[in-house]
Amino acid sequence: MRRWLKPLRVAIALVFLGVLTAAFLDFRGLVPARLAHAFAAVQIGPAALAATAGAVLGGVALAVILVVTLLFGRVYCSVICPLGILQDVIARLRHRRSRVLRFSAGNKLLRYGVLAGALLAVGLGATGAAFTLLDPYSHFGRIVATLGRSALVFGNNALVPVAQALGGQAIYRVPPPAPSLGLVLFALGAAITVTALALWRSRIYCNTVCPVGTALGLLSRASAFRLTIDQTACTKCTDCLRACKAQCIDLRTGDIDASRCVSCANCLGACQHGGIAYRFAWRRTPRAPDSQRRAFVASALLLPPLAALPSAAPKPRRAPVAPPGAQNVDRLLDRCTGCQLCVTACPTQVLQPSVFDYGWFGFAKPHLDFGRAFCNFDCLRCGEVCPTGAITPLALADKRLTSVGTAKFERSRCIVETDGTDCAACSEHCPTKAVNTVPFRDNLRLPEVKEDLCIGCGACEFACPVRPQRAITVTARATHTRAAKAVEAKPQLPKPVGDFPF
Amino acid sequence: MKTSRRDFLKTGLALAATVSAGRFTRALAADAPAAPRTILAAVRDGSRTAMLDRALAELGGLGQFVHPGQTVLIKPNIGWDVAPDLGANTHPELVGHLVKLCRDAGAKSVSVFDHTCDQWQRCYANSGIEPAVREAGGIVVTGDDHALYRTVEIPRGVKLKSAEVHQLVLDSEVFINVPVLKHHSGSLMTGAAKNLMGVVWDRRFYHRNDLHQCIADFLTFRKPDLNIVDAYHPMVRNGPRGRAADDVVELRSLLASTDIVAVDTAAARLLSQNPADIRHIGLAAAHGVGTSNLDSLDIRRVKLA
Ligand code: SF4
Ligand code: SF4
Repeated sequence: MRRWLKPLRVAIALVFLGVLTAAFLDFRGLVPARLAHAFAAVQIGPAALAATAGAVLGGVALAVILVVTLLFGRVYCSVICPLGILQDVIARLRHRRSRVLRFSAGNKLLRYGVLAGALLAVGLGATGAAFTLLDPYSHFGRIVATLGRSALVFGNNALVPVAQALGGQAIYRVPPPAPSLGLVLFALGAAITVTALALWRSRIYCNTVCPVGTALGLLSRASAFRLTIDQTACTKCTDCLRACKAQCIDLRTGDIDASRCVSCANCLGACQHGGIAYRFAWRRTPRAPDSQRRAFVASALLLPPLAALPSAAPKPRRAPVAPPGAQNVDRLLDRCTGCQLCVTACPTQVLQPSVFDYGWFGFAKPHLDFGRAFCNFDCLRCGEVCPTGAITPLALADKRLTSVGTAKFERSRCIVETDGTDCAACSEHCPTKAVNTVPFRDNLRLPEVKEDLCIGCGACEFACPVRPQRAITVTARATHTRAAKAVEAKPQLPKPVGDFPF
Repeated sequence: MKTSRRDFLKTGLALAATVSAGRFTRALAADAPAAPRTILAAVRDGSRTAMLDRALAELGGLGQFVHPGQTVLIKPNIGWDVAPDLGANTHPELVGHLVKLCRDAGAKSVSVFDHTCDQWQRCYANSGIEPAVREAGGIVVTGDDHALYRTVEIPRGVKLKSAEVHQLVLDSEVFINVPVLKHHSGSLMTGAAKNLMGVVWDRRFYHRNDLHQCIADFLTFRKPDLNIVDAYHPMVRNGPRGRAADDVVELRSLLASTDIVAVDTAAARLLSQNPADIRHIGLAAAHGVGTSNLDSLDIRRVKLA
């Protein structure tokens, strides 16, 4: 067991890291939506959120993670969490075997303070914001999507002329992503923090900052099988210390701090003396005065309430449009962790992360940007990939009738009115024919909006050529509704049938 | 091996003669006393491929247009991300068959593109055109890359005085326009002339600056060598995107002609529209790029069933 545990762990971890990285880098829609969804939906943050919404996969994933943690400790952090695995990759860049990270007692106040803060925020109703700021999977997503994907697209586009000169059609230009500065800085901040901490002290981010790690750590303290040092076999050679990236092996006392051990099994293989093994630990339960629990409670009380924050958010120019499946804006803000999986999956790129469009608590959450594109009538991808249930998956028939906004036509700006020439770009693009044209003046056609048919896809607004202010614009619905379904009789055959009309 | 100068000259002349033979005979014919009128092939009641074969036969065969070794551009309508049965795009069967015919005629390459309205990869795939073209040995090229467009002057344009045009239009030796016929909420009809909006980069310019005039103006820059209108099941309402499969009616027709104005005039009649109402037809005729007077044409009306 000693020997194969680590390779097995590494193999699975690389699959998780690989698939999720590919999903967030994917700018050509090559990663199947189901695959991206599956690997994201078993992450603990999304799983917890999805489970509360009744998602089966989320519930099962959450239960399995908790059971595994209660059995073997923080396996999740070593095998499934992409940010954790990423730190291992980064840490390898620096210290090979030679570097020893000595045991560290860990900063309890910080650890439990962050966890308590997160729980408090959830308690105060800022669930979405707490997950956005603290969920490790979501940080990973933003780092790869905002920084990695953008770089990849620029690289791709730079290669296109070369490929075209060689006559190839396999590489083509894709619209360059334009993540807003706020988002880039946020992702960059996270990337730098995680990288610096990983280079400095390997898994210290997991063990000190990440509230998911801390929560799982609390459970791990009571896990059934724990890595334990056999004092009789241990020669204090420090081989295990060289292998440990969590700084949780205290050779002086012969203890391994289960709450910070990420169960990577490195020490198992490193020990030449058979001194470390998984041992059943539920027989003896020494409940000494619990300093960790005390720190947790103390830090919770120290935290200032977050409730005053929302009103201070900068005012957006106009209300953002939430993607179909979000149901309503509040629900989206509650359940979305801002991971950007939907944004990277959106084929038209109409789905963009907001900065403060939804207010503070909507940071990094998706909205439809009709300046860039419009929501494709037959596309369901954002709902298919979303791991948290913030964008619920819709059946195509439902998606086609889900109204996220309403088109407003301003005739005084319309070209047909101002220039007296035909245009109809809006009605041309409208998939439901909520904008149709009616005869107007001499042989012209003027747009007309039937609001009950409009689904707010933004095709009309995107297509309207009037500048600076377009003649047709979509106004968001805070709560999505169901559009009416137009019923039309079968059209008549143009006469004459079976002959030539000329 | 040495080639004498005389041999070299002989082969050279022979080659030149073969290449220009087609044009030469046509020029001769034009000078003949009873000048043949432009042919408009109108075929009904067959499969798409059978109607295309027959129309081309009426026009003297595809060999009239595509010579061995030439580069061919086929411009269908791939504007929308919808399935073929909605009639918003040219039918893939027709496009595929045409690609194959061009290949059989010896074309060096057959390229297909459109500057789509919906997201292009989805349009190419879901219209069925991309797989059909690939299967027939053609190449699909994106229309969604600004770098592939070059600015050209359109001296005779009234509103459209210059445009950024896809390089395939500028560089291909043969240009075949294959629109689908349908209703249009703005221009009343989408036919051969309207389909050419898909070869320019800035479609919004047309909408902003007198749609009909711009459509007509473009034709003074470049007319397709051949226009084939897919009117098998034209969309008769809710165009150009269409809403449901019952927006189309089964007409089982196909039109083909070198005269783009003539083909659109006849197409309007197929849609029960008055060609005089569709302004770009009249404006194009006024530009002298074709005729809307169907009586002046040699119309080959063929019923296959
Ligand atoms: S937003 Fe515009 S294009 Fe979309 S359904 Fe409404 S009217 Fe039609
Ligand atoms: S796209 Fe804009 S300008 Fe054109 S018809 Fe519609 S509202 Fe008027």
